[in-house]
Amino acid sequence: MDPPSLVPEMWPPPQPHLPLAGMRLGGIMIGRVGPSSSSAAAAAAEASAAAAAGPRDLSVDESSLTEQSGAAGRGRRRRRDTAASEDESSKPVSTSSGNEMTDSEVKRLKVMKSGDENSKGEAALKKPTDQNPLPPEPPKQDYIHVRARRGQATDSHSLAERARRDKISERMKILQDLVPGCNKVIGKASVLDEIINYIQALQRQVEFLSMKLEAVNSRMNSGIEGFPPKDYPSQAYDAPTALAFNPQTPREYGQGSAAEWLHMQVGGAFERVT
Amino acid sequence: MTATGSPGNPNPNLSKPMLVHHFLRALARVNRAAPKQSHARRSRRIRCAAYASMAAAAGPGRRWSRVLLRRLRSSPSSHRRRISVRVARPPRIATASSRVETLRRLVPGGRSLGYCSLLEETADYVRWLDAQVQLMQSLVDFFSS
Repeated sequence: MDPPSLVPEMWPPPQPHLPLAGMRLGGIMIGRVGPSSSSAAAAAAEASAAAAAGPRDLSVDESSLTEQSGAAGRGRRRRRDTAASEDESSKPVSTSSGNEMTDSEVKRLKVMKSGDENSKGEAALKKPTDQNPLPPEPPKQDYIHVRARRGQATDSHSLAERARRDKISERMKILQDLVPGCNKVIGKASVLDEIINYIQALQRQVEFLSMKLEAVNSRMNSGIEGFPPKDYPSQAYDAPTALAFNPQTPREYGQGSAAEWLHMQVGGAFERVT
Repeated sequence: MTATGSPGNPNPNLSKPMLVHHFLRALARVNRAAPKQSHARRSRRIRCAAYASMAAAAGPGRRWSRVLLRRLRSSPSSHRRRISVRVARPPRIATASSRVETLRRLVPGGRSLGYCSLLEETADYVRWLDAQVQLMQSLVDFFSS
């Protein structure tokens, strides 16, 4: 390795954990980004190798700044990972193909640009005093920026929100299938309007039909009075109270012949209607 | 029992025979218990019986059926009691609120539900209400024929 790239790593002994944590976060975020993560890592390794090995003096001032910070970070990481296997880490660089190289070039350019924008003022200050450990803020900011932009889909909150939205739209679809004429309506508000109208119409229809049923039923009273009264539980005759959740209603259900007959009639008609 | 419903039905046990059974019993009970009541009162009882049989056939698995049954059971004195029981709820965030609030008022027990579960309850309630209306219509047709 190049000695100057190692200097900033060795330089700050009091806080060795901070830059390492930053780099680890960066590595995780890069690995999370997408399918090009391995190529990005390889490209990063290649960039650090290229910056560390030879042509550092060829690079311009600004690029040398960002390259220095990146190279310092990568050198640190590489040293932490495998101290002795530098050629091993440079192997995937040689095997990486051309388009990956271009991708990595784009990424490195982006890194350079953002780092340049962020730390140009600091660079002028810190370049003369090279003793200052280059703060790992520019790469950190960069990675955080990447996470905010790309990682929206994998964020747990947005995942939960997306699941909720999916659930809502699925139920909306079920409701649209239930309410007639609701499939043609476009827009959530008008779908809700349709649902509300349908429910109100159904409730009004229940009211109307109960009136009608009362009128018809009082005429046909004898037919219903023909039910054998032993069929009914004698504890409560109030309709709502007796209609508690009675688990044994299906058993009584087949007992009364008149009730069964009427039920067959009406139920058959009812099933035919539906 | 015939379990009818769409394939994506969250509550597949919409059993119409149970609904018919409950409603016919309730109807007979209304006829027997109150033969001399006024028409309005009787039709109101029939309406209550319709809702109650719907909720009873739907079972206690749904919030709307529980709330409906509780409301129907305590209906004579509920108007007096409800005032003291009512607790001030935090006002909901008003986004598309007028429609959703209307829906909350229409579906029994929907006031305290979130939007997602409100839609689920609404779907179930609409299904049962539809079945009840069809049952009543076929009963009217049957009796008047």
